[in-house]
Amino acid sequence: MGVVSQAAAAPRVKELTRPPTSLWADAWRRLLRNKAAVLGLVIIVLILLVAIFADDSVVAVFTGRDPQPLLAPRHFAKQSLENNNAIPYWLTHVFPTLKPVGVEGGYAKINDTYILGADYNGRDLLSRIIYGTRVSIAVAIVGPLVSLVVGVSVGIVAGYAGGRTDNLIMRFVDIMYGFPDLLFIILLMALFRSTTSAAEAGTLRAVLTGVDNAMGGMFFIFVGIGVTAWMSMSRLTRGQILSLKQKEFIEAARAVGARDGRIIWRHIVPNILGPIVVAQTLNIPQYISTEAFLSFIGLGVQRPTPSWGSMIADGASAIRTYPNQAIFPALALAAVMFAFNFLGDGLRDALDPRLKGTD
Amino acid sequence: MFSRNIVLTVLGLLVAVSLIAAPVSAAPPVKGNNQIDFENLPPKETLFSALFGAGDIPTLDPSLAEDTTSIQMGLELFVGLTRLNEETAEVEPGMATEWKISDDGLVYTFTLRKGIPWVRFDRSTGEVVVVEDEQGNPRYVTAHDFVYGVKRTLDPKTGSNYAYVNWIIKNAQAVNGGSELGDQDPLYGKVDEIGVRAVDDYTIEYTLAQPAAFFPGIASMWINWAQPRWLIEEKGEKWIEAENIQSYGPYALGDWTHDVSATLVANPHWPGTEAVPKPSIKYIHFTMLDESPSFANYEAGLADVSGVPLTEMDRVKADPVLSKELSIAPELCSYYYGFNVTKPPFDDVNVRKAFSWAVNRQAIVENVTKGGQEPARWFSRPGLTAAPDPAKDDFGPPVAGDPAKAKEFLAASKYGSADKLPEITLMVNQVEAHVKIAEAIQQMWQEALGVKVNLVTQEWKVYLDTLDSDPPQVWRLGWCYDYPDADNFARGVFRSDSGNNHTRWKNAKFDQLVDQAAIETDLDKRRALYVEAEKILVEEDAAIIPIYWYTRVQVTKPYVTRTYSIGGHEHYEKWKINK
Amino acid sequence: MGRYIARRLLWLLVVIFSVSLITFAIAHAVPGGPFSREKKLPPAVLKQLNEKYRLDDPLWKQYVDYMGGIFIPRITQGEPITSYLEDYLINIPLGEYTLRWMNFGPSYKSQSRTVNDVFRENLPVSAELGLYAFLVASLIGIPLGIVAALKQNTLVDYLAMAIAIFGVSVPVIVLGPILIWLFAIRIPIFLPTGWGSLRAEVLPSIALGLGSSAIIARLTRASLLQVIREDYIRTARAKGLMERVVIIRHALRNSLIPVVTVMGPIFAFLVTGTFVTETIFGVPGMGRYFVTSITNRDYPVIMGTILLFAVVIVIANLVVDLLYAWLDPRIRYD
Repeated sequence: MGVVSQAAAAPRVKELTRPPTSLWADAWRRLLRNKAAVLGLVIIVLILLVAIFADDSVVAVFTGRDPQPLLAPRHFAKQSLENNNAIPYWLTHVFPTLKPVGVEGGYAKINDTYILGADYNGRDLLSRIIYGTRVSIAVAIVGPLVSLVVGVSVGIVAGYAGGRTDNLIMRFVDIMYGFPDLLFIILLMALFRSTTSAAEAGTLRAVLTGVDNAMGGMFFIFVGIGVTAWMSMSRLTRGQILSLKQKEFIEAARAVGARDGRIIWRHIVPNILGPIVVAQTLNIPQYISTEAFLSFIGLGVQRPTPSWGSMIADGASAIRTYPNQAIFPALALAAVMFAFNFLGDGLRDALDPRLKGTD
Repeated sequence: MFSRNIVLTVLGLLVAVSLIAAPVSAAPPVKGNNQIDFENLPPKETLFSALFGAGDIPTLDPSLAEDTTSIQMGLELFVGLTRLNEETAEVEPGMATEWKISDDGLVYTFTLRKGIPWVRFDRSTGEVVVVEDEQGNPRYVTAHDFVYGVKRTLDPKTGSNYAYVNWIIKNAQAVNGGSELGDQDPLYGKVDEIGVRAVDDYTIEYTLAQPAAFFPGIASMWINWAQPRWLIEEKGEKWIEAENIQSYGPYALGDWTHDVSATLVANPHWPGTEAVPKPSIKYIHFTMLDESPSFANYEAGLADVSGVPLTEMDRVKADPVLSKELSIAPELCSYYYGFNVTKPPFDDVNVRKAFSWAVNRQAIVENVTKGGQEPARWFSRPGLTAAPDPAKDDFGPPVAGDPAKAKEFLAASKYGSADKLPEITLMVNQVEAHVKIAEAIQQMWQEALGVKVNLVTQEWKVYLDTLDSDPPQVWRLGWCYDYPDADNFARGVFRSDSGNNHTRWKNAKFDQLVDQAAIETDLDKRRALYVEAEKILVEEDAAIIPIYWYTRVQVTKPYVTRTYSIGGHEHYEKWKINK
Repeated sequence: MGRYIARRLLWLLVVIFSVSLITFAIAHAVPGGPFSREKKLPPAVLKQLNEKYRLDDPLWKQYVDYMGGIFIPRITQGEPITSYLEDYLINIPLGEYTLRWMNFGPSYKSQSRTVNDVFRENLPVSAELGLYAFLVASLIGIPLGIVAALKQNTLVDYLAMAIAIFGVSVPVIVLGPILIWLFAIRIPIFLPTGWGSLRAEVLPSIALGLGSSAIIARLTRASLLQVIREDYIRTARAKGLMERVVIIRHALRNSLIPVVTVMGPIFAFLVTGTFVTETIFGVPGMGRYFVTSITNRDYPVIMGTILLFAVVIVIANLVVDLLYAWLDPRIRYD
C-alpha cells in the first residue's frame, strides 16, 4: 500500500512527528538511481564549477589583486581586432560554408589559437562562453528561487486558506497577471536602464545602480524576471492544492488535529512538489531566454560582460556567415537545459511520495 | 475526452481573441484596388528596394520629415526649387529654372518651372491623375505653394524639427520661437513676417538674415518644398495617407501599407528635366525590414537592392557573385566621440588629447565597421563644399593613433598617470554597431593608456536626454549633412551656441572663424578658414575624437543600372531595369 | 456559473484599471519625452507640441483624459468624422447619430496614424502569428507527451523527450536564422520574411511555437504519468477495463488539468510575446511596434498595447478557469 492510505489511516501519531528529513533522504537515494538525472546533476555541478573557477577571483578576493583567467584561456574582454571572426581550422570541416581565405569564396581567417573561434572584436569565444556560465547560472538559480519562494507560498496560502483570502490574493495575482510578461519586463527594464546613469549619489536608486553595476547589469535582470516569474507558480500551486485539498488524506490529517503548518509541510508540499519542480525546471530555460531576449533588444547585461544570451543574440545576426558564433553558446545553453530537464524529471520521480514502496 | 477538450480549449481561446479582435477587424482599412496588385507587381517594371530599415515611414509631411526614409520618399514625391546631384552633391536646378542673387547676397529670386501639375494616384483606375481645383481646372505648382510650405515649416504650431535650418531667412528664427525671447518675441508665430514671398505665380523671393553662400543648397531641402494648402486644410494630419496625398515629383504614392511596404508609381505628368528625368522604372516597391531580413530577401532573389549587414561583410566580400554586386560609396556623415570638457578628467586638454591619440581609427574601420569607411581626422566630412581635404590638409590625430604620444599627453596632464584619473564613463546609445565600436575603443584605451573605462549604453531617447541635460564624460554621436557644406558641420554643430554641441566646449576663435567662413564667398578662402577652425576643434583643444567618415554599403542585382548616392538618398528616377 | 462569470468580468475592469495605472506611471517615469530629438526643437516649439498633445497637463489629468477617451462612449451627430486626434474603435450608427467608443489616442511617432490605426493593421497579424504558433505548440506537444508517457522509459519516450528538450533549449533568436538559412536560402521553399502568404507564415509560426510545444509535451507526459499511478486508474485496470479505455476515459481527462492551466498563459505568451519572432522574420505585428513605441516614448501606443494584451490575458485565464472546473468536477465556482 502506498502512503495515501498510510496517511489516511494515520493510526500512529509518532509517524506524523517523524522529522521530514527521511523523506528527502529517500528521494535522494531514488534520484541517484536515475542515470539521466545523475548525468544532469553532474553537468550542472560541472558548469557551476566552471562558473566559479572561470578566473581565480575566489583567491583574488583575498589578495586584493585583479582576478586572472583560470579555466578560461583569456579574459572575456581581451580583444585582438585583427583576429576578428577568426576560425580554427577544424571548424572548416564542421561548417562547410566556412571556407578559409584563399579558397574560392573563402573568407574565414584561420587562427588555431582560438579553439572555438573569435567574435567580431577578436575575443575568444571559448573564454566568453566560460565566463558566460556565470550569468546564465545566476539567472538559472535566482529565477526559480524568487519564483519558488514568492510564488509557491502565495499559492499555498491562497489555495489552502480558500474563501476570502484566496479571493483577495488571486485577484492581486490576476492584476499582476494581467500584464503581458514580456512587455512589462521590457517597460521595467527600460525604466531601470534609463534611470541608472541619472541617479544621484546617496539615493536608493544610486545604491541599486551600484549593485547592478557591480553585477555587470544582472541585478535589474533578476528584478525584472522576479517581478513576473512568481505569478504562474502561485497559480499552479493553488490549482494543485484545490484538487488536493479535498483528498481524503488531508481531511484525515485535519481530523486527527494536525495544525495547518504541519499539514502544509508534511502532506501538501510533498504532494505538489512534483508538478512544481517539473514546471520550475521547465521555466529555467525561459528565464535564461528572457535574459537572452533582453540582451537581444539591448536591455540585458552590461557590455562587455558576456552572457550566453547576449552571445547568441550577437551571433544570430551572423549565423549565415559565422555559424560558430551563435551555435557554440547555443550548445552550451542547450547542455544546461538538458541537464536541468533531466534533473527535474529525476527529482519529480524521486519526490513523488506515492512511488514509495512501489519499487 | 482528450480531443474534445483540446478542441474546446482552442475554441475557447479563439472566442476570447475574437472578442477583442472582432471590433478591430470590423473596420478594415481601405486598402488595395481593382487595378494594381501591389503585392504582386510585374518584376520587369518594378524595382524591389530593401534599403529601408524596419518600422514604418515616420511621415511623408515635408515639414516634419527628419529621417532618411521619410526624406527618401519625399525626394521622389516632391522636388525642391533646387536639387542636389546625388553623386556629386552639387546644386542643380529643380523646380526653379534659374535663380538670381542680389549684390549684397541677401536676396535670392527663384524662377519657377511652368505647367507642372499636382497629381494623385487614383485607386479606382490605378493611374496617376492630375489634381483639379473647384472649377475643374488642373492645379499647377505655383510660387504660392512653395511660400506656403516655407511658412508652414516655420510656424511653431507645426513643430518642425528641421525648421532651424531655415532660420537663415529673415525673421524666421524669431517667428519659429528660436530667438532668445522664445514665444514672448513680438514676431513669434507671425509667419507673414518671414522673408519669403511670391512675387508672382512663378517667382519666389527669399530675403536672408545674413549672406549665405550655401543657401541654394538649403533651397533644395524638404522644409522648402511646395505643399498643397487646400489638402492639408481639409484633411489635417492625414493628408499624407496614400488615399489622400497629392504631390508633383517624378513619382506618386501608389500604396502605403503601414509598417510593411510602400509603393511609388511613376508620374506620367512629370515632364522630365535635365536634373530630374522622367522615370524609367514604373514601380518602386519598398519593404520595411531590418537589415538582416532585407539582405536575406536579396539573397533569396526577392529584392533588387539592399544594404549589407556588418556581420555578413566578410562573406559578401569573398563571395564570387555577391562581391561583384557590392558597392561602397562615400556618405556625407561623420562619426565621432565627444568629451564633456567640464567634467574631470576631460577638463584637462592633455587628457583629451591622450584619449584621442590612443584610438586606432584604421583598426576600427578595417576590423570593426568593415564597410570601407574612411578613418577620420577631423569633423567636416571631405566632399562637403569647403571642407578640409585629406589629399591637401594634414592635421588632427593620426589615423592609426599614436599610443606613445598618447602616453606623453597623459603624463603631461595634471593627473600624470592613469591610476590618478577619476572613474571614467563612456556612453553610447544602444545600437549593436555603436557598442561594437565602443568595446573596441574601450579596449584601446585600456591597452594604450592603462585606463579602465566603464561602458554604459542607453536607449536613444534617454541618451538624447542625457546629452542635453548632463552629458557623460565621453559619448558618441554621428552627424549627417542637411545641406552639403562644411558650414552645416563646423558651425552647425560646434559653434558655442549650437544646440547640437554637447561638449560644453566654447572657443571664441572657433566661433569667429566659422562665422567668417559662413559669409565668405571665395571657396579657397572658406576652405582655409575651416581648416583653421577644425584644427582648434580636433587638435589644439581636442574637444572631440573624430572616428570615421561614413560610407554606404549596398548590393545591387546586375540587371539594375543605377546611380550611387553620396547623400544617403537615392534618385530612383535615374535608375533602369534591364530584364 | 453565470454569476461567477459576471463577477470575473467585473474584475476584468478592475484589472484593466490597475494595469493602466501602473503602466502609465512606469511609462512616464522613464526619462525623455516623445519630442526629444537629436536636432533640438526650440523651447517655444516644444511647448506648442506639448500643448497640442496635452502633455503639459498634470499627469493625473492626462491619465483621466486618456482613460476617459477609451471608456466613455460619445454620441455624435451626422457622419462620424475620423481625425488624427479623434478616432474611435467602435462606431455604432443610430440613425442620424453615431455612438462612438474607445479612442486610444494618436501615435506620436507615426504622425498620421492613431493607435486604433495601429490596432487595425498590426494586431490581426500578431494574433494570427500567435494562434498559428499555438496550434503548432498543441498539435506537436500534446501527442508527443502522450506517446512518451504511454511508452515510458522506452526509446520512443527518450526520443520524444529529446525532441521536446531540443525545442525548449533552442531560443527563437537561434532557431529563426537557422530556419531561414535552411528553408529559405539553402532550400528556398519558404519566404525568409514577410506575412500574408502561407509561404511566409510557416517559418515564424514554427519558430515561435516549437518552444511552447516542448513545454506542453513535457507537462502532458509528467501529468499523465502521475495520473496513471493514481488509485482509481489502478482500480480501473483491476476491473479489467481495456487499456485504451482506461487511458482515454480516465487518465487523459485528469492529466490535462495542469496542461490546461499552462495553456492559457502559453497562449497569452505566444500572442503577446511575438516580438523576437516578428523582428527576425520581418512580421509587421504589434510586438515589434510596441518595443519601438517605448523607444519613442509613444505613450498612447504603450498604454494601448498593454491594455489590449491585458484584456486578452484576462479573458484567456477566465476561459482556463472555466475549463478547469469543467474538467475536474470536484472544483466548483459558486
